[in-house]
Amino acid sequence: MSGANLTVTVGEGTCGIAAGAKDIATQLKKRLPDATFRTVGCVGMCHQEVLVEIEDDSASYLWGKVDKKNIIKIVKFHKGEAPAPEEFLVRSTEKGDLAGGQYLSRQTRIALRNVGQLNATNIEQYKERDGYKAISKILSDGLTPEDVIEEVKVANIRGRGGAGFPAATKWAFARGAEGEVKYLVCNGDEGDPGAFMDRSLLEGDPHNVLEGMLIAAYAIGASKGYAYIRAEYPLAVEHFGKAIEDAKAAGLLGDNILGSDFSFDIKIKQGAGAFVCGEETALLASIEGERGMPRIRPPFPAIKGLFGMPTIIQNVETLSNMPWIILNGGEAYANIGTETSNGTKVFALAGAIARGGLVEVPMGMTIRELLEDIGGGSSTKYPLKAVQLGGPSGGCIPASMFDTPIDYESINATGAIMGSGGLVVMDEKSCMVDIAKYFLEFTQLESCGKCTSCRVGTVRMREILTRICDGEGTMEDIDNLETLAEQIKSSSLCGLGQTAPNPVLTTLKYFRDEYIAHVKEQKCPAAVCKGLITHTIIQKDCTGCTLCKKYCPVDCIEGELKKPETWVIDQEVCINCGMCVEVCAPDCILVA
Amino acid sequence: MSHESLEATVDPAKVDAWIAELGSEPSAAVPLLQAIQTEYGYLPRPAMEMVIKNTQINASQLFGVATFYAQFRMNPVGRNMIKVCHGTACHVQGADRINTSLNHALGITDEEEDTAPNGSYTVEDVACIGCCSLAPLMIIGDQTFGNLKGSDAQRHLKKHAREHNEVLPGHAEQEKQKKKNKPGQQTAKA
Ligand SMILES: Cc1cc2nc3c(=O)[nH]c(=O)nc-3n(C[C@H](O)[C@H](O)[C@H](O)COP(=O)(O)O)c2cc1C
Ligand code: FES
Repeated sequence: MSGANLTVTVGEGTCGIAAGAKDIATQLKKRLPDATFRTVGCVGMCHQEVLVEIEDDSASYLWGKVDKKNIIKIVKFHKGEAPAPEEFLVRSTEKGDLAGGQYLSRQTRIALRNVGQLNATNIEQYKERDGYKAISKILSDGLTPEDVIEEVKVANIRGRGGAGFPAATKWAFARGAEGEVKYLVCNGDEGDPGAFMDRSLLEGDPHNVLEGMLIAAYAIGASKGYAYIRAEYPLAVEHFGKAIEDAKAAGLLGDNILGSDFSFDIKIKQGAGAFVCGEETALLASIEGERGMPRIRPPFPAIKGLFGMPTIIQNVETLSNMPWIILNGGEAYANIGTETSNGTKVFALAGAIARGGLVEVPMGMTIRELLEDIGGGSSTKYPLKAVQLGGPSGGCIPASMFDTPIDYESINATGAIMGSGGLVVMDEKSCMVDIAKYFLEFTQLESCGKCTSCRVGTVRMREILTRICDGEGTMEDIDNLETLAEQIKSSSLCGLGQTAPNPVLTTLKYFRDEYIAHVKEQKCPAAVCKGLITHTIIQKDCTGCTLCKKYCPVDCIEGELKKPETWVIDQEVCINCGMCVEVCAPDCILVA
Repeated sequence: MSHESLEATVDPAKVDAWIAELGSEPSAAVPLLQAIQTEYGYLPRPAMEMVIKNTQINASQLFGVATFYAQFRMNPVGRNMIKVCHGTACHVQGADRINTSLNHALGITDEEEDTAPNGSYTVEDVACIGCCSLAPLMIIGDQTFGNLKGSDAQRHLKKHAREHNEVLPGHAEQEKQKKKNKPGQQTAKA
């Protein structure tokens, strides 16, 4: 038997490919030449990559962490030659969720409903899953733009790109605005350095994003659209480009869509690596070919935007919810979530979490449920300490507050923000001052330089944080940091500067003792800050294997083979890079 | 340190073709620069000058844009590119060690320098590439490597170098020194 009755589905999103999905697919094809093969986008279980689903006549099996070794066992099982290697079984029809825990069952997938379920570049598969039915319904049932706006208003969906502004309100503005042409821009810049929701949506279900754009364009009366996608996402650009082509060929994009008098066309613009270009007015400047610097509002883009015309900028995830809302009704959407934060939100779970990946949950779920029930808790031997929510504009929420529900109001009350959905989990081995410094370095480098308080203020804050991390800070520095942060927040031109101090303010609020330890005791409690730690070899645990010496970039470790008592690190030369700790098998290097 | 030997020769016909395809109005500035950089790995001066001459984009706009966006490089790159992710997830999971390890193997000692002295590899720090669950990670050529330790990064680099006939200056140095340290064996063999 060579697999004639089998259907093999391999997850080939960016993360799957990075984990080796293409090789695995090739090998499977060799071993099961008669099986039917499909490729899909990322299901979001990034911690289980490479993921392969194999269906036979009666059941389906989802295999995780498939590699060159276990692939043999898996193939043997499907050929009926061996028992199932259950340790790699994530889910099966018989047994339900195994390795994945409640990873999938606790989610409510609306924006992600097709991601990982279909071949992203095949328009027919999208159509089979109710694709383009929403726009057909609008056009054939004669729904007016006002009807569409009303439905979205009932859904009460707020922008998922960070600011959380109600989409329907924005659409109504643009609907009423005067202009020869109107533009709809899909914001796929996703600059938060720890987030990949929009990448997965564009890559894994581009037609859904495209249909969302059609609905929004119809509602505001736009005839031209841009999809601004960051350059770091080549696969997203490729898949979305293919979606545009196929939609045009199917009469779903271009002039007189589906025979109606609604015409709309989309161009892709690739970003060029500037975080500030995610800000809507900077993004418009970037499309116009300028340096991506924010413009003063008002006038708001809805009135005077791209090339001076009324323009609506909407995040990828916001748009991805629209087809579902039109098909199922605004009320069905509004019924999910809490009173003021309706619907679902997609989060990218990363960092020290056992089951990282992409998840979509109803608003109002607590951080703890998200991290523990879905994420499976810490991935290391250390307990969790905090989550960073909202990236460079957001903040750190300590473990003691993990019962906070995830809705706009509750998250804002902590000092963090909902943000776009990047959620980086940190264990006891993360230094909160270092994290604050990391984000400040990021925003300082990304500050476009237009307004003084952001341009200069972030440099000053970064200097202070560097001093503290190097053990040269004073208590006065901590106070100055706080004052400076408040000033930058209140006097910057755009969202970048207005939110840049958030990571510092939240860590000061919840982890002030760590700052004080750096200043008063010259100690980094998590043993991260290089200026405050030392590496020493515990000779009684050492085996004298020489591996640390081999990888030391500054040649500061000396000793003789198999003679533990001779091994020492030259503290004068050591740069505390930590390479030796990583390679040391007996774990004999003490970081303190 | 400059790597004059890595300077690209610009083909004017190609630049013309890009202008014809992407347009010559101001809004074509970013796509044009992207086309040039995709071809040459950086923005060679002669290509920039051609764009200024043959489009409505003036020097101030073009250089303004080229220096504003992180994607664009004004200096030549090595024969191979390595991208190291420094997004949040990668940062907290030790991305710095990947750089330390690669620089060690490549003999890059100057903080400001990102290209190996023999022009073999350029190491570039990039923002999150959206595979945070595999953090920390790097891309060599078009291959992505995830869940890396510093030592893994070196291992993958060495393999890539072997397959692409590149010498790793830092590594070669090390080997030489090892031989120097064991002069006895050396002479015995010779
Ligand atoms: C510095 C900065 C960066 C931003 N980056 C993004 C981004 O990467 N993606 C995004 O959708 N919105 C981003 N935004 C928010 C946009 O300005 C805008 O609010 C959003 O795209 C509107 O769409 P939404 O209402 O659907 O969220 C950013 C804002 C600021 C101030
Ligand atoms: S942080 Fe490195 S891939 Fe996202």
